[in-house]
Amino acid sequence: MVIPVEQTEPIITTRGLDLFYGETPALNQIDIDILRHRVTALIGPSGCGKSTLLRCFNRMNDLIPSCRVTGSVSYRGENIYAPDVDVVHLRKLIGMVFQRPNPFPKSIYDNVAYGPKVHGVRDKGALDTIVEESLKKAALWDEVKDRLHTPAMGLSGGQQQRLCIARTLAVGPEVILMDEPCSALDPIATAKIETLIEELREQYTVIIVTHSMQQAARVSDYTGFMYLGELIEFGKTEKIFETPDKELTSNYITGRFG
Amino acid sequence: MNPLHTYAAIRNASPEGDLALLTAGHRGGAYERVIRSIWFLTAIFGVLCVFFILAFLLKDGLPLFSSVSPAEFLFGETWNPGGATPSYGTMPLWTGTILVTIGAMAIATPLGIASAVFISELASPRVRSVVKPVVELLAGIPSVVYGFFGLVFLTNALRLQFDIPSGETWLAGSILLAVMALPTIITVAEDAISAVPREYREGSMGLGANHWQTISRVIVPSALSGITAALILGMGRAVGETMAVLMVTGNAAVIPDPLYDVLSPVRTLTGTLGIEMGEVAIGSTHYHALFGVALLLLLITLAVNLAAMGIMGHIRRSQAGGNGPGRLSSLMQPHGRKIRTAGLLSLLLLAGAVFGPLAAVLLAVIVPAGWYAAARIPAAHAQRAAFSLMYAAIGLVVLAVAVILGDILIHGLPAISWEFLTGSPRNLGREGGIFPAIVGTLYLVAGAIAVALPVGMGAAIYLTEYTREGLATKIIRSGVDLLNGTPSIVFGLFGFSFLVLYLGFGVSLLAGQVTLSLMILPTIIRTTEEALRSVPDSLREGSLALGATRWQTIARVILPPAVPGIITGAILSIGRAAGETAPILFTAAIFSSRFLPDSVLEPVMALPYHLFILSTNVPGAQTNQYGTALVLVTLVVGIYLVAIAIRTHYQNKITW
Ligand SMILES: Nc1ncnc2c1ncn2[C@@H]1O[C@H](COP(=O)(O)OP(=O)(O)O)[C@@H](O)[C@H]1O
Ligand SMILES: [Mg+2]
Repeated sequence: MVIPVEQTEPIITTRGLDLFYGETPALNQIDIDILRHRVTALIGPSGCGKSTLLRCFNRMNDLIPSCRVTGSVSYRGENIYAPDVDVVHLRKLIGMVFQRPNPFPKSIYDNVAYGPKVHGVRDKGALDTIVEESLKKAALWDEVKDRLHTPAMGLSGGQQQRLCIARTLAVGPEVILMDEPCSALDPIATAKIETLIEELREQYTVIIVTHSMQQAARVSDYTGFMYLGELIEFGKTEKIFETPDKELTSNYITGRFG
Repeated sequence: MNPLHTYAAIRNASPEGDLALLTAGHRGGAYERVIRSIWFLTAIFGVLCVFFILAFLLKDGLPLFSSVSPAEFLFGETWNPGGATPSYGTMPLWTGTILVTIGAMAIATPLGIASAVFISELASPRVRSVVKPVVELLAGIPSVVYGFFGLVFLTNALRLQFDIPSGETWLAGSILLAVMALPTIITVAEDAISAVPREYREGSMGLGANHWQTISRVIVPSALSGITAALILGMGRAVGETMAVLMVTGNAAVIPDPLYDVLSPVRTLTGTLGIEMGEVAIGSTHYHALFGVALLLLLITLAVNLAAMGIMGHIRRSQAGGNGPGRLSSLMQPHGRKIRTAGLLSLLLLAGAVFGPLAAVLLAVIVPAGWYAAARIPAAHAQRAAFSLMYAAIGLVVLAVAVILGDILIHGLPAISWEFLTGSPRNLGREGGIFPAIVGTLYLVAGAIAVALPVGMGAAIYLTEYTREGLATKIIRSGVDLLNGTPSIVFGLFGFSFLVLYLGFGVSLLAGQVTLSLMILPTIIRTTEEALRSVPDSLREGSLALGATRWQTIARVILPPAVPGIITGAILSIGRAAGETAPILFTAAIFSSRFLPDSVLEPVMALPYHLFILSTNVPGAQTNQYGTALVLVTLVVGIYLVAIAIRTHYQNKITW
């Protein structure tokens, strides 16, 4: 089920977003509109600020002491950098999957149940259901259903990453940020995650950073190309890959640099 | 509709575009703030302690200068508070401290560095897993046991060797302090050497340098700042040590004549406090003079520790920046030649002073000859020679452990009996048992940890999890570092002035517990911080990204894997507290008691204090001295072994 274009609307919008690490600028005047229920890919050479931009969307950058943000990032029309924003709540709505799988040193079950638990779900039955549903959505259920209470560290890298996705889904986010979620995985595990992303867009808005152009082409509806902290071009994925407006973009797409 | 969607629906109940959606304050904000403030309070506790210690030392020390001028106090050549015309010149005391420390460092520096290089570079994993605990054992032996061993074994050996009336000398103090400073030096230097990036090692080896060339030209120079810090820390330990020094240096307040006469008795600042504080009339000039001595001691250790902190901080910065040798070594490089020459000259002077002119001449011949030869003999031979020396060094260290523990074990075992462990002392401790002392020590330690653990953990949580590095953390950390560098006898004086007198606890279990808890607080903070830091940031991010609050993240994700580390730190502190004498000397301990204390406001017996009095004040108690020493060592070393076992167990288990 793909929601028709006319029903989608921007869910995250940035205007004039600048970001500095200390004195060094890392993002320069980013204006982007992320559409609801679409997969948006961010591509660009490494160090161009993809992760930095992604981490602006759920204010993970707050954890970096030297980081300073100006401009606006709004989520459903609200500026998330406003002083009275509850960052904890924001991160519940905008989940994140990291580059390296980072399961907690707990059991598989406890990893997934962690989020709902910290958000106050106590009922064992409800937790069981959430864990099962989340693992199913992350296409991991069949592989782990018989060993839910064994350590998550015992899973393979690809399984760990899907567990991290399940863990994010269990909180019930609207938006899922993924920072090169496949870069530590082998091709088969990567294919599984890509299929998963395909399915996730029915219920969630996904923003994925990737260094693989093929991956961006395969999974995304919209693509943003970044270079040296700037968003060079943003549009429908076919457009970016087939008839980009900017020469820089076409150079990158055709592999002439980066 | 399945429950997950219901759950999501509940969460998303607010209508689209609800402007209150993200606004703060509707979920446990107050609770989080309360928790944060609690940890903040525990964190500034350390700073408050430093402030209070200083304030009370000043309060009781400054009145001295109404009757004695500062110049007289600092540079007067006679310390004789009990004489017909009392004089309060501390020159012999601080000279004693400096001399004993120099002697100790002259012995401990080569041994410590060679041992550290051996452990990190030469030892196989198996050998390392034996040698490291042995070195840690040295750190675990209580100072009063060192003192006791020095008294019954070392001073005797020196007396026979040099044919002098008494072996209680500067040399005895220096040897003992060297052994005590070794574990600090070895551990810190080894850390520094192990932290040298593998690329350096591979780079050097890849160029065809052999192992010794790599060690001597790449690894040790890269670790130079860390090694320097290790030496300074070891020195701090030597300067602040009380009991061991007091028991073996003879305590005559004289400046050795000639100055290099290592066989002369000396008296240190700490020794003076340990001996005289117990007998002084409260409020007298002598009393104030002792607090003046404590201030002086604190200033010296402060200077030593500031130097160490500066160097360590510098290392941390340069490691974070990740580029090459630190400022210290780059400062030293252009003057390398001059520094080497100066170092050699001072070594010569020292050797001349310590072992007589003959040694200096020998050294003057051997070192340059060795230098010259080393540069020319084939690399393989140089390597063999250097490695042999390192084996010899580590052999000496292991031998020291074996001799100390062996002597105590052999002579102590016959004293151990059921009656000894469960009875009360009789005939001034010559007969009977030490049960009240065992229980007293357990009481003291339990109280100390009960106070220090929650406060220390809170402070560590605040420092690692709640704040960004800034002025506040800098102040807190400096406070903790200063507390860590404060000699234990100074804690004792503070406890006496503040807890016993000012708060009116009297000489009591409670006063001892609180004093000990202050002393172990820095260790607990530091080990907890380390444990928290070893939890990878990806877990923090993972939890926060799920919308968990700060405290939820700490309590559920960060603390559980850090628990083994925290427990290890707590156990190490327990071991340290169980063996300390100086802090309870005037705050809690009595020598003889048939009964256990009924309340925390009564004084108690304690093992270290019992051993101290038995071995210095009770003639003819040899058997029970050894017995007490054995019980104390077993207790403390047992505690340390448990800590080491826990640490290795979990080190092998947790892999991120
Ligand atoms: N924590 C940080 N502190 C300082 N600079 C940083 C930090 N993280 C990233 N940078 C810098 O910001 C720029 C963008 O980094 P990043 O967003 O990680 O790039 P990408 O994900 O596109 O590879 C890089 O030049 C990087 O060096
Ligand atoms: Mg990145």
